[in-house]
Amino acid sequence: MIQPQTHLNVADNSGARELMCIRVIGASNRRYAHIGDVIVAVIKEAVPNTPLERSEVIRAVIVRTRKELKRDNGMIIRYDDNAAVVIDQEGNPKGTRIFGAIARELRQLNFTKIVSLAPEVL
Amino acid sequence: MAVCSTTTLSIGGSVFSGQLRHWEPNESKLFQKPRSRFRWLCLNDLYLLRFRTKTLNFNPSGSLLPSLYAYGKEADDAFLSKVNEDTDEMFDDLMKKYGEVVFRKNDRKSPSAELDDDAESLSFAVEMAKVASDVKAADIRVLFVKPLVYWTRFFIIATAFSRPQIDAIGSRIRDLAEKKYGKIPSGDAKPNSWTLLDFGDVVVHIFLPQQRAFYNLEEFYGNATLVELPSETQPPFHT
Repeated sequence: MIQPQTHLNVADNSGARELMCIRVIGASNRRYAHIGDVIVAVIKEAVPNTPLERSEVIRAVIVRTRKELKRDNGMIIRYDDNAAVVIDQEGNPKGTRIFGAIARELRQLNFTKIVSLAPEVL
Repeated sequence: MAVCSTTTLSIGGSVFSGQLRHWEPNESKLFQKPRSRFRWLCLNDLYLLRFRTKTLNFNPSGSLLPSLYAYGKEADDAFLSKVNEDTDEMFDDLMKKYGEVVFRKNDRKSPSAELDDDAESLSFAVEMAKVASDVKAADIRVLFVKPLVYWTRFFIIATAFSRPQIDAIGSRIRDLAEKKYGKIPSGDAKPNSWTLLDFGDVVVHIFLPQQRAFYNLEEFYGNATLVELPSETQPPFHT
């Protein structure tokens, strides 16, 4: 359940460290974003000397949420943090590697690029 | 060990029974034997009672009534400590025999079927790579990534030198896959600097040279085995 003002960790090596959601993309007035949703975010903290800078507005895909993700077979996945991967307008990730485990739902949502860069897919 | 397992079972008896019944149709032959011996233990609270009376018969002291109605943990412990030898052996035997197998799904494919699927995906992947080389994609690599990731079997990585070329490669691959194999990819519909076509068992990545060096997928999947392509002997055209 990511909503505007939520702070997220960054799960890639793009150079951003912390994001703040400022808009959930989807329907108008959409309240919450879950795993696999695209948000507009602002970079709150960045690694020095990287292409991305603080206070830059970017798009990101949510890859981990504290809110549990339910599957049809009854499995429930809940992560310890909220994390997102920075993408560009075309949907390519800005970083080259993803950190941490991600859910396979991203593949169904057409983020196979992120899945193929991830070290572990749940 | 016997004390521990029976107390948990009696506390969560009804919950566990529901799960067990749910699993039954899926069970493999390996699991069937222990189940028949376990059934009276954990299927229902009624069966639990019967188990108790049955074991009490072995017990010479024979304080039947109090333990029949006692459901608390202390009661169970006190009562079970007397009949330990019998059940302990049984549980130890079962543990030795079936301890490793907890639950196995029935829908797992046999190794031969798995190999057939691999071969089918391999022929599909090689065909796709051939089509890509027909449209002059460079540096085509077919990687067998199944041992590394569970979600696909083959990666095809190719370089194209312009977006129209990416479009050409993508549409050729799409056409052939649909005509010959009836597969429709998900992934990018428009040509992109990293275009990805996801056929399920085979995932095709088409890069521009810059993006290919940037993402460096070959290095990330460095442990994957490289599949030799029959047409790889031809010299690269752009030299």
